[in-house]
Amino acid sequence: MSPARVVFWAIFTVSGVWLQSFMPGLDFFAPGLVLCFQEEDTRAVVALAVLWLLLQEGMGSLAFGTGILWYGILAALFFFGHWLFEAKNFVFMIILGVCLGVMHFALTQIMAQLQDWLVSPGRVMMESLLQAVVFPVQWGLIYIIYSHLEQNGQDV
Amino acid sequence: MVLFLYLGLFTWNIRTGYMDTLASHTGLELTRWMLTPGRWAWSRVSSFWERYVYFVGVRQEAESLRQDLAQTQEELVAAREDAARAKRLEELLAIAPLPGWQKEGARVIANRLGPNAALETFVIDKGRRQGVDMNTPVVAPQGVVGRVLRASLSAATVLMITDPNSRIPVVSQKTRTQGILTGRGAGATLSLRYVSLSAPIEVGELLVTSGFEGIFPQGLPMAKVTLVTRDGASIFLNVQAQALFDPQSLEEVALLKKAEPETPPAEAAVDESLPDASRHLKPGPDKKTEVKRKSKADQDGSRAIDEAKPQKKARGEGQ
Repeated sequence: MSPARVVFWAIFTVSGVWLQSFMPGLDFFAPGLVLCFQEEDTRAVVALAVLWLLLQEGMGSLAFGTGILWYGILAALFFFGHWLFEAKNFVFMIILGVCLGVMHFALTQIMAQLQDWLVSPGRVMMESLLQAVVFPVQWGLIYIIYSHLEQNGQDV
Repeated sequence: MVLFLYLGLFTWNIRTGYMDTLASHTGLELTRWMLTPGRWAWSRVSSFWERYVYFVGVRQEAESLRQDLAQTQEELVAAREDAARAKRLEELLAIAPLPGWQKEGARVIANRLGPNAALETFVIDKGRRQGVDMNTPVVAPQGVVGRVLRASLSAATVLMITDPNSRIPVVSQKTRTQGILTGRGAGATLSLRYVSLSAPIEVGELLVTSGFEGIFPQGLPMAKVTLVTRDGASIFLNVQAQALFDPQSLEEVALLKKAEPETPPAEAAVDESLPDASRHLKPGPDKKTEVKRKSKADQDGSRAIDEAKPQKKARGEGQ
């Protein structure tokens, strides 16, 4: 991985943590993971996925395992959708965003039930809607920045 | 196969908590180090902006006094900020430490974080290195805020009493009515459960911790009763209460830790004057040898008394 990409992913990770502190309940690493699948090699994908998984599990309040399901299902959806859609199509990202929104609601309820905890369905529903909207927008933004970075790197 | 492995990992973690500890010591710790520098930078930028805005106003007012006034106002803004912080910290310090408990201040560095933050929590900048552990009580100057849910080396996640999963036994201060105080989510009042219909609880009463759960010290203020009604056919009263702190304006909190038990001075003195003889004992002699040694010691003792007598006499003579 080039130094420019390392810096890009470092800034992306720190910004993600900050954005998550401003908008509780949302995942700002998921669009990064999809971009990784599209652009990076396997080693980089695994390294970043493990880092983000540990961050999400550490800062969350549910028992370990929710993050594995969350990113596991996202990866499965991406590779399944890859056969049907163009991987970098914005419509595909909108569909992925909707799936993530539904998954956030379902996973939070199921995992909370497994731990015998109560969560407010209204709040989780609102977070799910926001997640569905934020995901494609954030993916679009980081895709533009990443592409710009790639072009500049080739020019150099 | 994958599902089987996942369920195995999940249940193993629920039983042992190893993966949670791993996630806390890596993820939560990293989060703390990513957020703290940003908080510092933000406070610097906001302070600079406040000074800048005021500076522009002063320049329009009187050009000749601009330099002096700017400096004075800069100091004033800084002093106001210091005073506000000092007031908050003073209030925090004013929480009287309960007997057998120590308190330690901590800063709130973030509220709920990430998609897995399903509970009403916030993150503080103190962790296991500072003696913070699971269930450490967290209080504000107004009253109890919650308890530590998980901790890494230098950060911890606190579960607030407003969360529906927080259930704390309390007693009303005036009428001594007991119940379980439960959260109902962000922005909602708390609910006091299992209060019998004949209980004499009143609106406006303060609810304090009963200490029955063994986590919180007894008598800490928690909430104020706002509503007492009968609810249909229920055999319990419907009691609602308002938390004493504002979750949106929490900046600093205090952690209550059990103090190390001190050794009473008298006992310590006795311990020092009486060295542990058992440590100097050699492998036990038989009874016969012991009897011989005892008789020899008696002889030596009588000789020693005889020797001491003339000495005493001599000492007496000198007086």
